[in-house]
This record gives sequence, structure tokens and C-alpha cells, in this order.
Amino acid sequence: MELDAGDLIAKVRARDADAFEALYDAYHRLVYGVAMRMLGDASAAQDVTQSVFLKVWSSPDLFRSGNFSAWIVRVTRNRALDVLRSRNAHPEVELPEALPETDAIEDVAFARLDAAAVRNALDDLPPEQRQPIELGFFGGITHDEIARRTGIPLGTIKTRIRTGLRKLRSSLEGAVNA
Amino acid sequence: MNASHDAMLDDVAVYALGTMSAADAQRVREHLRDCAECRAEYEALAPAAASLALAAEDAAAVPSELMKSRIMREVRREAAPAADPPIRRARPWAAYLVAAACLAFAVYSSLVNLSLERQLKQVQTASTGVSDTTVADLTNPSAQRFPVNGGVIVRVHDRLYLAMHDMPKPPQGKVYQAWTLPKGSKKMAPSVTFVPNASGGAVVALPVDARITTAVAVSVEPVGGSLQPTSKPVLVEQFG
Repeated sequence: MELDAGDLIAKVRARDADAFEALYDAYHRLVYGVAMRMLGDASAAQDVTQSVFLKVWSSPDLFRSGNFSAWIVRVTRNRALDVLRSRNAHPEVELPEALPETDAIEDVAFARLDAAAVRNALDDLPPEQRQPIELGFFGGITHDEIARRTGIPLGTIKTRIRTGLRKLRSSLEGAVNA
Repeated sequence: MNASHDAMLDDVAVYALGTMSAADAQRVREHLRDCAECRAEYEALAPAAASLALAAEDAAAVPSELMKSRIMREVRREAAPAADPPIRRARPWAAYLVAAACLAFAVYSSLVNLSLERQLKQVQTASTGVSDTTVADLTNPSAQRFPVNGGVIVRVHDRLYLAMHDMPKPPQGKVYQAWTLPKGSKKMAPSVTFVPNASGGAVVALPVDARITTAVAVSVEPVGGSLQPTSKPVLVEQFG
């Protein structure tokens, strides 16, 4: 999937509708899945999906280099955060849509894993680590808000996120090398 | 390592997860520029955090075909002319021909009630196989082919076909039903019902005059078909 994304986006810049359709076919499940998980509402998730892909079409230059999956996930999360804000959830999280220093790292994550492996690794985390990670990533709320909502001290939340991510990394390394 | 730096490593993890406020994230970014240990921690944790998005990808949960159709209409309106030829390039036909050759092409001729039967009779095909004419039409190099998600619509002279692959089996008691839009009409007309074969393939000859048909849709309907769609279409293609 990732091998052709750069080529396809170059064609989209030249207003090639077939290349855009190929990008849509390759990434719409990922975009819709993330939006659905964050918003819990099929109609809103569809609106976000449509908005994300129309943005890809109208502003392909916003994707400069690196990993297309990682970039489109960031764009999707930001659109979903806009929706959450409009619901008065007031998430403060801001995700820069260009983080060159992360591209090579995220390349590895997206190129070598699949959904089942990640779900299994998440399921293996203790609930006290999985909960703040999922709340943060899909709930669009900051670690301060997670601490407020759960009544757990802020420092404990941060440590659990770090410990959970380290375990997740270890499990995923096992999945990649299996 | 002191406690304050250990706390910074926790912050780096939260930053990698992308759940920091803009101000906090800026503080961590500045620290990462100067601290090799924290950079190494970030590089270790960021892939795990990024991979979380994959957990949300669900093969069974997809946006409607109608949405794709809306997006592509807008895109093709703005596309470079060369990228949107009136006759799109042919795709490999081997898969369709294999599907056609061994097709248990099931078009349901039994209808739920007599009233419905009368109204659908003219559009129901009773074919149980793929005719030589169909195979010839599907492989005709001058046929117009309109790719759709999971298949293609083929127009040859006045004949119109829907050739699909990898279609999920419809739920118990349900079938797929095609709908066609006559030129000048705003209302989709009910067409044949069908179920894909065991491999998910289906080749459907649509009993309409292709020269005056401008769109095809497919929805999941009760066995016997419906006079009005009762579910969101799984496919919509406007080509006229």
C-alpha cells in the first residue's frame, strides 16, 4: 500500500482522478475506521471521511513527504477533533500535520503491521494502561483531562501511558518478527 | 537519572501518543532537540503510538458507496481532461471470465407476491448461466467499461452488464438487487435480483436499453426484490 502512495499523490497533484480514486480505495477503510472509533457515529464518520479525501484532492501539497498513512491519520484525527470540539467536548489536542522527524519512524509502524496484530497487542495490555492510551488516541483528550476524568493522579497517568507504549512496542516487535 | 528527567521521559511518551496540548507539545519538542536520551525514547515509542490507528481499521466497516460516488463526481468535475477519458481503460478480464465460466449465476425468479411479480416480471431475467453473447460482450475491446468498487459496469451497444467480484454473501433472506436510471428520469427503476457465486463473483445482464440508461445502483433487498430500495445502496455509478 505504502509503496505507491507517493507516486499516486504526485499524480493527484497533476489532477489525475484515477490516481485519487486509487488512493481512496487504498485508504478509506483506515480513515473511516479512525473517524468511527473517535466519534462513534457512522454519519459523522462519513462526513469526516469525505472531508479528509476532498482535502487530499484540493490540497495534495499539504502532504510533503514521508508516510502517507501516518499523514492521513493525522488529518483524520484533526478533523474528528474538530467534530468533538463542536460537540462541546473541548479537546485541546493539536496534531501537527507535518512532522518530518516522525516520518521514518511511522513508516516502520505502518508498513509492517496489520490491524489484527495491533488489536491483539492492545488487548494484551493491562486495562489501567490500555484505558489512558485509547482515551488519549481515540478520545481526543489530553492527559490532564484523562487524569481529571478518571481521578487518577496526572503523574500516574503519564507513567501508565509510557509503560503501556513500551509494552505495546515490545508486543508489536514480536508480531513483526514472528 | 534524576526524578525530574524521568518525568520528562513520561512526557515524551505522552507527546508520542499525541495527547498533549499545543503548549506542552512545544515544550517537549524543544527538549527533544537537545536531549539524546529523550529522543531515543521518542523514537522507540512513536511507532507503537502511530500503529494504534491500525487498530481502528475494520474490514467490515466501510463508508457507503454513495459517499464515494459523491466524492468522485466532484473530483472528476475538476480533474484534468486527460485523466477522465469518456471511455476508461480496460481492466484485466481473466478474473471475470473465470467467474463467468463457473458461475452459479442465480437470478431469483420467485417473487414474494403476485402484485410484485407482475410489476417486476418484465425486468426479471431467468438466466441460470452466462451466455456466449455475454462472454463476447464482456471481452469486446470496444465495450465501454465503467469501473466501480469491486467490479465494473460494461456497456456494449444497447446492452448493459454488471460484473462484480468479491461480493459478500447477502444476509439470510436477502439478495442483491440492481436498479437502473432511465435517461430523463429522477427515479431509479427496479431491476433484477441476484446473489454472487461462492467466490463472490456475479455477472448480471441488466434488462434495459443501455443507450437510454444513465446510472446503475445495487442494494440489499428481501428475497424477491423490492419496488423501492429499502437499504442504502452498496454501489452507485452514474455514467450517462
